[in-house]
Amino acid sequence: MKKILAYIALAFISVSCVDLSIPPKNIVTSEDLLSNESGIDIYMARMYSNMPFEDFKYLAQWGFNFNGWLNSFGIEGTGEALDRDGICTTFTNEDTPYWSMAFTLIRDANFLIENLPAYKGSYPEPMYNHYLGEAYYVRATVFYAMARRFGGVPLVTNVINYPANQDDLEVPRSSEKDTWDQVAADYDKAIELMLPSSPKSGYSNKYVALAFKSEAMLYAGSVAKYNETVTGRLTGTGQKTGVRVIGFAPNEWQEASKKYFTEAYKAAKEVINSNLYSLYKKKWKANDPEAQYQNMIDMFSDISSPENIYVKQYTYPTLTHGFDAYNSPFIFRTPLSSGMCPTLDFLEQFDGFNHYADGTLKVTTGATNTQGDYILYDSPMDLFKNAEPRLRAYVIFPGDQFKGKEIEIRAGVYTGSTPIKPFFNDYSYASADNTYQKLDSYSKKPKTLYLSPREGSSQERVEADGFSMNAAGENGPFYDNGESCLTGLYLRKWLNPDPAAEIGEGKSDQPFILMRYGEVLLNMAEAAVELSLAGETSIDGSNLLDEATEAVNEIRERAGAKLLTNTLSSTNVGRDVVRKERRKELAFEQKTKWDLRRWRVQHYEGRNGLWGEEKNKDMYSNNTRYRFRGLYPFFSTKANKYFFDAHYQWISLKTFEYTIVDYYFAIPGNEVSKSKVIDQQPNR
Amino acid sequence: MQNMKKTIFGTMLFSCLLFTSCDVFELDNYEEPKETIIGEVVDSKTGERILTDQGSEGIRVRMTELSWGDNVEHNPDFYCKSDGSFQNTKIFKGTYNIRIDGPFVPIVREDERGVPIANDTKTLDIEGTINVKFEVQPFLKVEFVDYPTVSNGQIAARVKVTRGISNDEFREKIEPMGNYNSSFTNVTDIQLFVSYSSSVGYRARDERWSNKIEYVGSEFENLLGKEITIKSIKGQTIPSGKHVFVRAAARINYDTPAGSGTRRWNYSEPMEVIIP
Repeated sequence: MKKILAYIALAFISVSCVDLSIPPKNIVTSEDLLSNESGIDIYMARMYSNMPFEDFKYLAQWGFNFNGWLNSFGIEGTGEALDRDGICTTFTNEDTPYWSMAFTLIRDANFLIENLPAYKGSYPEPMYNHYLGEAYYVRATVFYAMARRFGGVPLVTNVINYPANQDDLEVPRSSEKDTWDQVAADYDKAIELMLPSSPKSGYSNKYVALAFKSEAMLYAGSVAKYNETVTGRLTGTGQKTGVRVIGFAPNEWQEASKKYFTEAYKAAKEVINSNLYSLYKKKWKANDPEAQYQNMIDMFSDISSPENIYVKQYTYPTLTHGFDAYNSPFIFRTPLSSGMCPTLDFLEQFDGFNHYADGTLKVTTGATNTQGDYILYDSPMDLFKNAEPRLRAYVIFPGDQFKGKEIEIRAGVYTGSTPIKPFFNDYSYASADNTYQKLDSYSKKPKTLYLSPREGSSQERVEADGFSMNAAGENGPFYDNGESCLTGLYLRKWLNPDPAAEIGEGKSDQPFILMRYGEVLLNMAEAAVELSLAGETSIDGSNLLDEATEAVNEIRERAGAKLLTNTLSSTNVGRDVVRKERRKELAFEQKTKWDLRRWRVQHYEGRNGLWGEEKNKDMYSNNTRYRFRGLYPFFSTKANKYFFDAHYQWISLKTFEYTIVDYYFAIPGNEVSKSKVIDQQPNR
Repeated sequence: MQNMKKTIFGTMLFSCLLFTSCDVFELDNYEEPKETIIGEVVDSKTGERILTDQGSEGIRVRMTELSWGDNVEHNPDFYCKSDGSFQNTKIFKGTYNIRIDGPFVPIVREDERGVPIANDTKTLDIEGTINVKFEVQPFLKVEFVDYPTVSNGQIAARVKVTRGISNDEFREKIEPMGNYNSSFTNVTDIQLFVSYSSSVGYRARDERWSNKIEYVGSEFENLLGKEITIKSIKGQTIPSGKHVFVRAAARINYDTPAGSGTRRWNYSEPMEVIIP
């Protein structure tokens, strides 16, 4: 008891009457962060780790979760690739909408813009300006990411202090036009303030901002123009505010579109004229397809590439992703595989193949794929022997090499007599469900077609004509296994080609190129043709169409594709040459889903333009729905040769659907219902 | 040992209670949603139901509960049944605004600046069972002329499409909304939906057999009121002995609600066809 009293007494003694006014040491203050370079590094690192970059940590269906789980892209109904899972669906919303987290990042940027001036004296002026420029660049990036999702968004351009009046806290959506103007203004401010080269790795610079500005303005110009091509004009005013939150007014779209295309053109030209960047051609040799192919593989992992403008880097073991773990061929499956299987429709865009009159790949001797006999090849690679080197660098063909192994892809073995007639008399959309396992030659006697439901012991064995072999290839396709090759083709781009590289979740550290010079050239070319369509001949003295032609040829030369011999025309056909080149060059780079969106070519009425050029939508659509095809290699034991069948996706058939309302994502319902000023999209 | 188990058990039980809020023991006393609305959409001229398809391409019913104050979000949308009627038996008691959108002249019309021109939505106190009837002006009327024929597993149907509202009437209603275009009234396509399901329509169509005919510009104008033959997809044989259901549909080049890009079809009655 005495002891307790003594403690109480002691406690009283140690009470002081002086107020504590020293800032607590465990709280980081603005002073700590903004008054010195290492503090700024931390501030920037925080902002950059929250940037809406679509790389190996972004999946379109899920939105920005900043994890790399199941990372696959090009599977959003773009036609580039297919995947077995529900994530393979059109880009009509994101499970985690890019809304509230966007405003957190905008706040960080605004805070820097408002508070850095107090510490101006701590830095040399160019550095001070650069830091400020970074803040504008971050804000531009966020507004751009939001604008292409939602149209007009709340333009919060200052730090809103809390608590405050309800009226100060609530910011309504601005018009789509004002939003794009803000994006342009923020990029301009960043371009004006930032250094011409990044002060540190990971920082941005003036040309990064210019390159992204050209991409953003191309989006804005396209939206302003192509909203007009959509049934009922895609625009409307918000119910609560009356603001034109999506689209442009009838009397302003034309001018706005031209203005944005001009901005896109000028920004891209400034990057080009700087002569700081060039297309990657370290191993490129004229007239050498093998060298051109190898060159285009290397360019995606060579961090010293002069084509790289902005790169997200990874380092094992601290900052990694799992791209190889999800998208490698089946034989490398750890723990998954075949997440991005390129389609035949994608392949048909490239040079070096024979086609039927309707533009589809020729697989038989007849005039269509239901006529004549299958064309026979000694090895599957023979079909691809003249393929454009760029395609071979992007896609693994059946029988091609990857990671030091031959990638065996075989749909089945045919033991019937030769010449071989096409398996089906109808390959239309309506009969996409008619698959090989439903053929009489497979299920009835005499059995002449062998297919495998799964790998390993589930492989059907074929003993015929002296052959003793598995029906399907090592990578499938297996008709009951969505982790095998779905389309007969595999992705090569981005995959680590090093045979020694271990595959696994969190084991990959290839960089992701967010912006490269190739895109800048294509941005310039597209803006140039659009301006020419709008009646301009020149913006800065040089002829727009000549420049666009030259840019396309530069890309094509490096790709090993056929060069344009005539100057592009000022028509939609000329424009489509640039669009198609863009679809080919920038495939599997998380860009195409946005291009289809801004061209407004994904809904049924506009879908003839899905492939960048006019292609009859009814070949692969049924109203709002559409599907893609694969290219399936078979082996004939009688002929000891291979043949190919072009069929709608055989394994895990995906049907995509897209309607006009999807061109603008819905505003998250909870944001609309809790606010007096936030409008839902007027067309929803 | 036995004691220890008891102690552990006791502690766990106690901590369970510790984290329990008292609400757990209270019954949710909010009245369950048990009010009913029964509605139908009919042609204001003939009184016939507007036939549709149950899905987001059909007639959308949007209810908004107004007693929450100014800033209200509408309830989740639902859609008319294919016969043009709708029913919801799980509604909370309250005051609702009911709006429908479908292949008819929009009942809510505003000009370019959002100034109301017409508003034929209904605002009702819903308690018990409430009946509601919307009288609208459908764009088109679609009918089968006779019983479809079948040959070699392919269905051939004779269809007649007439206007539910004349072009002049349409223009009079729609033009004040701004950006009027004379192409709005063009009939763009006729569909023949085929399905094993009796609720055949766009949603339940079988893609193997359903077919369409598309028309460019105003080329359909001469075909209005005439018999048009539309067949299921050639080469796709419908198995013999099966019963399938067919419906015809047609639409004009005008989306409802404006800006949604959704051009909704007017439908015929479904018909059952036996494949010989």
